[in-house]
Amino acid sequence: MSCSIKNSAQRRFVRTCWMSAGLVVLLAFFAAAAFRLWHLKGLPAYPVAVLPALPILWVLIETGRYLAAEKDEFQRNLLVQCLLGGIGGTLAVTTVWGYMEDFARAPRLDLIWVYPIFWLFVGLAWPVVYRRYR
Amino acid sequence: MKNRLKVLRAERDWSQADLAERLEVSRQSVNAIETGKFDPSLPLAFKLARLFGMRIEEIFEDSGQ
Repeated sequence: MSCSIKNSAQRRFVRTCWMSAGLVVLLAFFAAAAFRLWHLKGLPAYPVAVLPALPILWVLIETGRYLAAEKDEFQRNLLVQCLLGGIGGTLAVTTVWGYMEDFARAPRLDLIWVYPIFWLFVGLAWPVVYRRYR
Repeated sequence: MKNRLKVLRAERDWSQADLAERLEVSRQSVNAIETGKFDPSLPLAFKLARLFGMRIEEIFEDSGQ
């Protein structure tokens, strides 16, 4: 998928990403307010705590749907390579950090950061992958 | 994989964008195939062959030979 949007599958995917980003912020504020106001604990706390994660799961599903819907095999190939870069980068960082936490008492890395780290590496992989085909 | 896409395209006076439109792919895809940086799938290779009225092996060179 290039920077300029070419087809309906790409348009749908980009729209989903933006909507999801907005929903994450909204639901995170809602969850924070709910915990502050109602002091949720135990079983009722779980569904409220999960709410901000739902749009993120939605994007992961939509990423798969986009890959299935994208008819341009070259663009699909580019995105797959970027996603692999994201997976590889995330695994590398979290593994190294995990050992640093265990042995060197490095600050704890919350699991909530795994998703942004993944997309950060996807973004970093993007220009590298594109340069290969320029 | 080496191919004759650039020549075939030039013979018809098509730009990369023209060919991309006919193949229903992006211009970057055509460029990547043309420069040998991306090998098309069989369905896309057949589509190219149909478009140029040739056989696949007349467009693409088997580098294994």
